[in-house]
Amino acid sequence: MTDSFAAPAKYWWIARTSAKSNLAYLAEIGSRVFFLGVILYIFLRLWQVTYGETGSQTLGGLTLPQMLWYLAVTESIILSGPRVAQSVDQDVRTGAISIHFIRPLSYPLYCLFNTLGERAVRFCVNMFVGALISIIFVGFVPINPLGFFCFLTVLPLAFIVDFLGNFLIGLAAFWLEDTNGLVLIYSRLTMILGGMLIPLELFPDSWQATLKLLPFSTIVYGPARLFVAPDWSFYQDVLLRQVIACFVFACAVALVFRIASRRVFANGG
Amino acid sequence: MRALLNYLKLAVAYTRLNLDAQLEYRGAFFSQVVAMFVNNIIWVWFWVLFFGRFKVLRGWDINDVVTLWCIAASGFGLAHTICGNALHLPVLIARGQLDVWMLYPRALLPHILLGRMSATAWGDAIFGYVVYLIFVKPDLPHFILFSALTVSIAFLFIGFSIFTGSLTFFLGNSESLAEQWRYAMITFSTYPATLFEGAVKILLYTLIPAVFVSYYPIIALRQMSMSNALIAVAGAAAVLAVAVFVFYYGLRRYESGNLMEMRG
Repeated sequence: MTDSFAAPAKYWWIARTSAKSNLAYLAEIGSRVFFLGVILYIFLRLWQVTYGETGSQTLGGLTLPQMLWYLAVTESIILSGPRVAQSVDQDVRTGAISIHFIRPLSYPLYCLFNTLGERAVRFCVNMFVGALISIIFVGFVPINPLGFFCFLTVLPLAFIVDFLGNFLIGLAAFWLEDTNGLVLIYSRLTMILGGMLIPLELFPDSWQATLKLLPFSTIVYGPARLFVAPDWSFYQDVLLRQVIACFVFACAVALVFRIASRRVFANGG
Repeated sequence: MRALLNYLKLAVAYTRLNLDAQLEYRGAFFSQVVAMFVNNIIWVWFWVLFFGRFKVLRGWDINDVVTLWCIAASGFGLAHTICGNALHLPVLIARGQLDVWMLYPRALLPHILLGRMSATAWGDAIFGYVVYLIFVKPDLPHFILFSALTVSIAFLFIGFSIFTGSLTFFLGNSESLAEQWRYAMITFSTYPATLFEGAVKILLYTLIPAVFVSYYPIIALRQMSMSNALIAVAGAAAVLAVAVFVFYYGLRRYESGNLMEMRG
């Protein structure tokens, strides 16, 4: 009984410690936002020219300022992602994973909360810079409290879905010689199919329904769209899809981890 | 001329040796090559989607942007399949690991650069040529000019990596700075240069010399213009010359790491 109460607390402490240790290296994280600035500037120009040449006030239901804020959120989400798959891959290859088995912790949950702590700090730094650039170039967009609440509730779930996808790829190290290729393809699919570069409304009409069903859209497009154009029914829809994606991915992780654990052989030393 | 031929032979020998080393881990090597190829295809797919909705962007159409991706990827790929160590210069300098290269009778910089191969660069190089042939369907003169310009862009990328890597001699460990700068260069190189104006345009001719990838080569291929091709080549040569100067100037400040190392 005591253990079941203690479990959430210890994972909370892992997340907190991870966030604190990342806060200690804030300058290092800050140095990496240079790329965020570059990419946001390029997108600003791309969309400024596109809006100008089409003569449209809105594209995909978004005005130019909304589009830049949308991109600031999507970029902040994507660039805040810790190297989960690579870290799991390393643990598997070096055998460090066996150390985790003797700890009173679940390895997947340890990785999840460690990642969440790190990602929270990185996302806040990215979002701060993204917001600054957006304000300088296009000013503020109206954000109501409801929209902000919706955004804040779907964001952690987006991080969890993304973590589970990456964790599954990391576990592939039990069978594959190298998982870097899979990581690269997964990240590009998240970027393109998730709507990081263009909102899903600008994809061909026949694709949109399918893309919205994929988990990638719940990681990137859903939170960003809610931030710039909040909508209660869309919020419920994103939330439902996130819960389903979490459930399916969590079951897959549990199954694969169970099978993979049997492949761990450790000698004393 | 004889010295040049000698170094070309060295480059061929190192490339063969590095490829053999990569092929020791065949699965890892091929998965990285395929992943980079697929990665680039996904980016081109994004542009196909974009131009499916908006037909022209400042006078550029889908063919121009695909050509841009092909020429940038194959130039980058060519550079780092042969001179893969260019990406590792900041680490080698910061950790004082140049000593081992100083013991050879060859010139230091080209020898270091040839010492490693990037597996993913193969994916870039193959992607560039294959997609250009399939998607753009060039005639022979266009393909010859395309191939020549990929060599020029390869030298540009090598020069850029040497320049950013050599900053470690002056700033201490500048690995993160070099990486960020390189990402900026690659990113600017894969978007039409006509999108940018004012101060940023000046930046693209100087600190991030992406116009020699994303503007002059594309105009040269579109109009079969030798003057634009020559500007692209001159730009690459200038970047490489500055980089070599900065490297050897910085080398005077190099401090050994006193490491015992062996090269297999």
